[in-house]
Amino acid sequence: MVDLPKRKVGIISCSGEELAEGTVSRVATRWVLERLRQEQTVTLCLPLFLAGGKEERAFAKFFPTIAVDGCPKLCAARATAAYSAEPAARIVVSEIAARYPDLKPESRRRLGPGGEELARRVAEEIAARVDQILAQPTRAKLVRLGEMAQPEPAQAPQDDAEPTAVCSCQGGGVPAKVVLVAGSPVSILALEPIMQQLVALGDGADGELRNKLLEMVKVYNPIPTEQEGLYAEALWREFLAYRHSGGDR
Amino acid sequence: MGKIIVIPCSGIGKAFGTIGREAAQIVVDETRPEVTDTVCLSALVMGDEDARARVHGRHCITIDGCPVGCARKNVELAGGTVARALRVVDTYKDHRDLKPKTVTELDEAGRALAKILAQTIAEEVDRIVEAE
Repeated sequence: MVDLPKRKVGIISCSGEELAEGTVSRVATRWVLERLRQEQTVTLCLPLFLAGGKEERAFAKFFPTIAVDGCPKLCAARATAAYSAEPAARIVVSEIAARYPDLKPESRRRLGPGGEELARRVAEEIAARVDQILAQPTRAKLVRLGEMAQPEPAQAPQDDAEPTAVCSCQGGGVPAKVVLVAGSPVSILALEPIMQQLVALGDGADGELRNKLLEMVKVYNPIPTEQEGLYAEALWREFLAYRHSGGDR
Repeated sequence: MGKIIVIPCSGIGKAFGTIGREAAQIVVDETRPEVTDTVCLSALVMGDEDARARVHGRHCITIDGCPVGCARKNVELAGGTVARALRVVDTYKDHRDLKPKTVTELDEAGRALAKILAQTIAEEVDRIVEAE
């Protein structure tokens, strides 16, 4: 059976070096990755993101992200918005800390009991946002059909089967394939492994397979409701050609 | 010349990122607090006026956790002067018995590596101070 990449949330921590809140943002992020939502999250290395890491930026473009900032300067959130896409959620440690005035980190190097408790509460808020985001359908974007728009970048890292906290840079790329939808090139994430999986599932009624194909593609790709018919037609055409070629295109 | 700015990458995915951050904080907070300081790397790159002003015209020592060199690259992009670019992996190459296994909270090997790296940073700080 083909292993499909799971939809995940990328968490980008500011890790601000000057402030204890930067350390809290970092520790809270790691706890979410290691303990609270290990299977549902990856982290994106902010300095690599800022330095132009293509995989990091591509991940944040295709997948929902949560920016975790230590202070109101919101460097992680602003960087994500500037270089990829608006984060799906923003967490600001200083705002959470204001709600718990008794929880104070000892220093930027050592959080101590108060700082660790604050990090735990921040981690819980991040995890709650992860759950909210994954419960929502992907945000659909209308494709300007009929125009020869440029296909979107055909890379987006992820596919990390290891049960450990990982960077998006460690996961390899989710393969993307450009498909013509009503004459317009549209990049579809994970189409190849999805088609492999459908072929591996064996024979089924064409109508059933066609619906299943669309549903599986929608897990990884935002498809506007009003364009579902056009996408279904294009995806089915692609699948028939794939199946006819013996799944070796 | 003002304080020397020590800037780690703080890479979050691997232990070397945490080690670089820990080493930088040991120097800035404990062993050379009178002559060193740090700024948030992300604030510097995002154009924060205060961060840029503090780096402007100062010697910077960058600490990178992986060969990509994000701290060095980002400081250069932000117009800072990198007086010395250190890499955690170089310290590790000299102490392969110290193999860190944790990222969030460093284990014994990670803390030992951070202390050795902090000593290297402090020596670089002393060289820069002496040369001025």
